[in-house]
Formats: sequence, C-alpha cells, structure tokens
Amino acid sequence: MSPPDPERLLSVTPSPAFWVAIILYGVASSTFLVSFLQNKPGVLRVARAVLVGAFLAHGFDIGWRGVERVHPAASVREAIGFLAWIVAGGYLAASLRYRLDLAGAVISPIVLGLLAAARLSPVGEQSEGLTLLGRVHISLATVGVAVFALASALSAIYLLEERNLKRKKFDARSFKNPDASLDGLDALSQRLVQAGFLVFTVAVVLGIAWVAQRGESMTRPEYPIAIITWMTYAALVSVRLGLGWRGRRTAWMALGGFAAALCVLAIYFLRRALGG
Amino acid sequence: MTAELFAVGISWRTAPVAVREKLAIPDEDHAGLLAALVRAPGVREAMLISTCNRVEIFGACPAGEAERAVAEVRRLLPESRGVAPASVAPVLFDHVRTEAVRHVFRVASALDSLVVGEAQILGQLKASFAAAGTAGTSGPVLGRCLERAFGVAKRVRSETSIARGSSNVSSVAVELAARVFGDLHGKRVLVVGAGKMSALAAKHLRHAGVDELVVTNRSPERAARLAEELDATARPWTELEELLAAADVVISSTGAREPVLTVPLFKKVAKRRRWRPIVIVDIAVPRDADPAIGKQDGVYVFDIDDLERVVAANLAERQKAAEHAERIVAVEVGQFDAWLRAQKVVPTIRALREHFARVADAEVEKLVLQLARKELSPAEREEAVRRSVQLVVAKLLHQPQMALKAADADGLAAAVQRLFSLELVAEAAVAVVERESPAAPDPATPAAAAARRR
Repeated sequence: MSPPDPERLLSVTPSPAFWVAIILYGVASSTFLVSFLQNKPGVLRVARAVLVGAFLAHGFDIGWRGVERVHPAASVREAIGFLAWIVAGGYLAASLRYRLDLAGAVISPIVLGLLAAARLSPVGEQSEGLTLLGRVHISLATVGVAVFALASALSAIYLLEERNLKRKKFDARSFKNPDASLDGLDALSQRLVQAGFLVFTVAVVLGIAWVAQRGESMTRPEYPIAIITWMTYAALVSVRLGLGWRGRRTAWMALGGFAAALCVLAIYFLRRALGG
Repeated sequence: MTAELFAVGISWRTAPVAVREKLAIPDEDHAGLLAALVRAPGVREAMLISTCNRVEIFGACPAGEAERAVAEVRRLLPESRGVAPASVAPVLFDHVRTEAVRHVFRVASALDSLVVGEAQILGQLKASFAAAGTAGTSGPVLGRCLERAFGVAKRVRSETSIARGSSNVSSVAVELAARVFGDLHGKRVLVVGAGKMSALAAKHLRHAGVDELVVTNRSPERAARLAEELDATARPWTELEELLAAADVVISSTGAREPVLTVPLFKKVAKRRRWRPIVIVDIAVPRDADPAIGKQDGVYVFDIDDLERVVAANLAERQKAAEHAERIVAVEVGQFDAWLRAQKVVPTIRALREHFARVADAEVEKLVLQLARKELSPAEREEAVRRSVQLVVAKLLHQPQMALKAADADGLAAAVQRLFSLELVAEAAVAVVERESPAAPDPATPAAAAARRR
C-alpha cells in the first residue's frame, strides 16, 4: 500500500501553528486528565495554559488558511476545524466563571479529534464553488453545532455528577474533584442550547433556501436528520421555558439533539471525503 | 549569626485535654511568660501559641545551646501555670534544630492538627507571632522561620487538596448544598424541627451566604426560640407544604417517630416546585425523610449516615494529600537549614571580602601614584599594571601558601582544591610548587617527596 499523498491529505500545506496546535491539544488533554485524577490545582493551571496556547495556535492556523484563501466555510472539513476552535474557545470562556476540570478532560480530546479529522482526513472530491448563501449557511450551522457540542459536554458531566450524588458515591472522583455545581452546569448548558438554537434555526432556514436555490430535493438523508436535530432542540427550549423542565430530562434531550447533529456532520463529512 | 531553633510543648498528640487545660495560657499572660523566657539562660528569641489543642513555645538560642534552652523552657512553662514540672514532664515534647523547624512548618500547614488541613491553626500561629513581635521577644531567626512556615502553609494549601471538603458533620450540609447550587447566596433554607444539630448546620449555611432562614416546628415556642437564635423567621407547622415548595435546602431534625417528609407530601410539593432542585439534609434519628422521595427528579436526600460518610471520605482525602504536603515540608526544611547554615559563615565571608578589598585598594593607590608621577611609555605602563596585579595576587596568596605548607595542612589543601575547583595530578603539582618556590622545598611536603621520586 503506497503512502498517502500529502497534497491530497492536507489540501493546503499546514502552517507550523497547525502542528503546534495538534501537539498542545494533545498535551492539554492528558494534563486535564491528570489534573482530574490527581486533584492537583497546579496541574489544572498548567492544563488551562496549554489549552490557551493550543487555541491561539489553532486560531493562527485558521487565519493563515484564510490568507491562503481557504476560509472556514469553504468546505465541511474546514467547517469542522473551525467548529473545534469555537468549542475550545467556548470552553475557555466558560471556565473563566465555572470550575470545569472534568469538562476540560472531555472537551480537549474532542477538539483534538475534530481538528485531526478535519485536516488529516482525505480531501475527497472538491464540491463546486459555494454561493454566498451556502457559505453563510455552513458558517452559522458550524457555530450552532459548536455551541451544541459545548452544551452537550456540560450536560454529560451534569448527568455523571448528578448520578453520583443521587447514588451517594462520596468516594467517586467526580465528588472529590467536582466541576461547577449541578445548578451551574444545568444553567450554563441550557443557556448555550438557547443561544445555539437561535443560530442553528437561521442556519436551517438558509440551508433549506440553499437546497431550493440549487434545485435539489430534500431526499438526502442528512436533510431530514438536520430537521430532527432542530426539532429536538426546539422541543428542549420549549419545555425548558414553557414547562420549567430542567436537570436530568433536559440534559438527556441536549445529548439526543447533539447526537442527531453529529449524524448530519458525519454524513456530510463521509460524503465529501469519499467523493460522493 | 549562629543560632539554633527549638520547640517545647504539649498537644493533643501527647496529652488529654484534662492535662492540656492546666498548661493553657490566657492571652493576658503571654507577654509576661515571653519576657521570662527570653531572660532564661540560652534562650535568645521566643514565641508561644496556646489553643485548645496545643500549648507550645518556639524559640531560638545560640548554637550548641538548644538542649540547655529546652531544659529551661520545660521548667518555666509548667511553673508559669503553677504546675510542678515533674508532673507534666512525660507529656511535654521537645524538638531541636532541624526537627524543630520541621515541627513549626508542620504545625503551620495543619499537618500536626487533630483535623488535618483545618484552617484555624494558621491564623492562630500568625496571631501568636504578632504577639511575640509586640512583646519584643521574636528576632531574626524565629522571624525567618515563621515567615517561611507561613509560606509553606500557603504552598501546602494551594498545591494539595488538604483543605478541601468539610471535616465535621454539621458543616457537610453546606458542602452538599454547594454541590447542587454552587453559590448559596439568595437561597432559602428551611429548618424543620428545633434540634441542636440542625441549629448548628443552619449556622454553617448562614455563614456560607444563605440569606433567608425559616424555622418551623410543631411547638411554636421552640420554633420562635430557635428563629431568634439564628436570626431567622418562625413559621407555623401547618404551612410545611408551602414552606417546602419555596425552600432550596431543608435541614430536618424533629423528634418524630414516623417520617414527616413523605412521598405523598413531596408529590404535591414537586408540582409547585416545577422541578427546581431541593437538598434535604435529614439529621434526625429516626429519619424524618422517607428515602423514597430521593427518587424524584431534582430531590437530593442525605441522612446522618451519608453526612458521616462524606466526612470520612473528606478526611481520607486529606490524609492522602498530607503525604504530598509532608514532601513539600521536607523540601522547605532543607532550604531553611541551608539558610541557617549559611548564616554561620556570613562573618567569615564579610571579613574575607574586606581583607581582599584592603590589599587591592593599597596596590591600586600605589599604582595610580606611579602612573601619575612618571612619563611612562605604553609598554612601561603595561608593565607597571602587570606588576601591580601580580603583587596583589602574591599578597593575597602569601598567608594561604604559608598555611598550606604547614605540616598538618592536608585537609586545608583538599579544601583549597575544592574551593577553587583545582584538579592537580602529582607531577603538575610539583612543577607548580618548584616554579613558584625557588627555595628548596620543605622535605616534609608531598611535593618534595614527589620531586625526590623523580
């Protein structure tokens, strides 16, 4: 088997900042894990500092690609790399207010995986030139899904910590070294869902318009799944605001919605990568 | 400055409270005892700390006098409280030199406390040190030691989890409520029943920032009494359902034989709460809360056993952190010892510098005069400077060379080689000696012996 062609693998020669970001995200992932397992405040500070470095390097790489005329909405691959950057930035912003050790250990490897998947996977067939509508749709959908990703990570941590508290596992690692309070995690997650929902709603409307502009039908599997994603989050926002639902139920709904969003992304990604 | 540190005292480790209380020193007597201590032979600096768990005296004395100072303090401390020294001698402990420093650092870091990691001891130690400063009995050695001890305590608290988690049952309610709500400001606490434990727990919650405390009890008089004690509002028992609907945290400790917080009651309450979380801390035995209500969404019920398990888990975690803290203390003790050792050679270093400066200044003065007086060519000037520098070197080396040539100077020679990083093979050493000393070498020196062999 011949080695993959770097040109095909990386589409644009990555800047040194890309490799720095990959390495630092990797270091941050393991440092967050060590911080969580060993419960050492000093290690947590190092983990955060490394993640800030990774975020800056990643941002530099995105800017550099922009100079090379490969902007974040140019393709699904670029959008996923951009999504990873927003998730990392969102986490850093949230951690200014809340203690989110476990979230760091969850989010850092996700960001690393997304960035690696976005840039180190085969380019596949390039899609035809995107219209402005398409670009705005991709950009907004990316931001929306990134915000949902953050909300889902917080919801997952909420469910883990809530279960440990209900089952009175006082020697569990998450009890000894907790993230933000349950109420804090719930509130932050729901705020993110509401913000993400607004952005995602506009993205879906523009997406429908874009499909119509191209004269396509809604038969591709990602389209109905995108609608299901939107409906799940619409239901979540409604029951939260209308019926006062909170806690475990809304956390599961947030995770369900994000699972659907991931399905859409995966289908897009595989289609582009495999040249479908 | 050559000094040593010592520590003498009694603590929860060595004696029960019945003995400790006999030696406890009221604040107003501190200055008198401190003054007596520094008048004692051998004691140069002193401070004392007297808490419910320990009465200790830390001090500094001249080098080699630690044992004498300890003996004096062992006599003075009990005598100051009217206790015969012999009667408490077995329960008094003492540490000197490095062990004394380690003890002070461990006390400051709450590693020697009954509840490892407790926060009060550091404040008490700071206050005691300030009192010694006011009494004029603390000095540079004790001052440096205590400053480092405060730094070590800060390191231990920030680098380990020794101070995390509640260490007593009454404050665990705060920790559990914080797990659910985070900040407790603006939260409403309902105290059901008027037991002593619930009052304590409520006080901890108030201290943690809870704004609104409501007390309800079957006996309105007892509710009113407790409400007054807690600066809370008393409400009738008949409003229990309504009060539960509004509360965020419930502390329950009634004397009821059957649960008062039942599933049917909470089903009614849940609708009004709209899934808002509620923490129920049930410290009554028999229990006030039916454990089944904890199955409802957002309802967290903890009984007295849970609270004790949380305390046990926290204390176990603190013990684990204490191992890390002990390593920090060991490193810091080493650094302090190095500082103390360095203080012993400071006068020598100062004298050496002054001696070198005197020799150099005298030669520079002569050189300046020489250069100013004569019309010298550049080559002559260079030669004059070279000669002057060589003269300085020769003058500085004269005394050491004489000492090195003494019959018993082997140790000194080794020290010089170490000081100047000299690595000499025997032949090179002989050549150097022959070149620098045209006179016949002393037959007793190793260099002469080497020359004879050659």
